[in-house]
Amino acid sequence: MSPYIEAGYAVVLATLGVYAASLASRERSARRRLGTKASPPAARPAQLERQLLDGAGDGAPGADDLEAGA
Amino acid sequence: MPSLRSRLVTLVGWLALVGVIATVWLGLFVTPDAVGFPDGLVRLLYVHPPMAWVAFVAYGMAFLSSLLYLWPRTRDMRFDRLAGASAEVGVVFTGLTLVTGSLWGRPTWGVWWTWDPLLTTTALLFVLYLGYLALRRVPGDPEAVAGRSAIAALIAFVDVPVVYFSVSWWRSLHQAPTVDFTGRHLYVHGSMAWTMLLGFVSFTLAYAWMTARRYRLASLAVQQEDEGLAHAIAERRAEGRVLV
Repeated sequence: MSPYIEAGYAVVLATLGVYAASLASRERSARRRLGTKASPPAARPAQLERQLLDGAGDGAPGADDLEAGA
Repeated sequence: MPSLRSRLVTLVGWLALVGVIATVWLGLFVTPDAVGFPDGLVRLLYVHPPMAWVAFVAYGMAFLSSLLYLWPRTRDMRFDRLAGASAEVGVVFTGLTLVTGSLWGRPTWGVWWTWDPLLTTTALLFVLYLGYLALRRVPGDPEAVAGRSAIAALIAFVDVPVVYFSVSWWRSLHQAPTVDFTGRHLYVHGSMAWTMLLGFVSFTLAYAWMTARRYRLASLAVQQEDEGLAHAIAERRAEGRVLV
C-alpha cells in the first residue's frame, strides 16, 4: 500500500481522535471546576441575603454597585 | 440519570466511531483498486471528499445559526454558541481536507501544493474561518461579540459555493467532484460507492458529536463565568458587611 494512503488515514484518525479526546477532557475539567466552585457562591449569597434582610448588612455594596464600577 | 439529549449525543458518538472504523476497514482492505489510480490511491477518496463535505455542513450550520442570531425574532445566545462550535469543528475538517488533498496531489500531480482555484479557495476558506474564530476571542460585551461574529460568519460563508463550483467555473488541475450534489450523481459504483457513502455518513455523525460536545463546553464556560460573577458579588457583599 502506498505510504501516502497510510499517512492520509493516520492523519485523519489521529487528528479527529486527539480533538475528540480534548473536547471530552476539557468538558470534564470544566464540570469539575464548576462543581467545586458552584457550591460556595450558591450557598453564600442566600445566607448573605438573609443577613441583609435582617438589617445586619446595611451599606454593603451589592450587584448594582459592582456593575456601576463601585 | 443522564438526560435524553445527553444519551442521544452518546449514541451518535458510538455510531460515528463504529462507522469510521468500518469505513477505514472497507476503504483499506475490502474495496478494489481502481483503474487509472496508481498505487491504490483511490482509497484516499473514502476520506478526502467526506472531510470536505463535513466542512461544508459545518460552515452551513454556522451560517444558519448566525442568521438566526441576527434575526431579531430568534436572537438567542445559544445560536451564537452553536455557530462558534460548528465553525471550530469545520476548521478541523477543512485542515484535514487540505492535508489529505496534499497527500493525493504529491503522487498524482507531482506537487504537494499548487495554486489551483479549488485548492486556493479551500485554503482561503480555512484562513477565513480561523479569522472568524480569532474574532470570537476578541474581548468585549458578549452580545456585541456575538453580533460581529455572526456578520463575519455570513461573509465567510460566501466562499463555500465558490469552493464547490470552482472546478466548473475555472480550468482546474483538480478533477470534477466525485459526488455531484447538483446533478445528484455519484461517479463511483458498487462497494466503492457504498464505502464512500458510509464515509460521508460516519464523518457527518462525528461532526454532530463534536459540535454537540463543543457547544456543551461553551455553555459550561458561560455558566462558569456567571458562577464567578456570583462568587465575586458574594465576596464583595461580605467585605462590605465586615467594614460596616
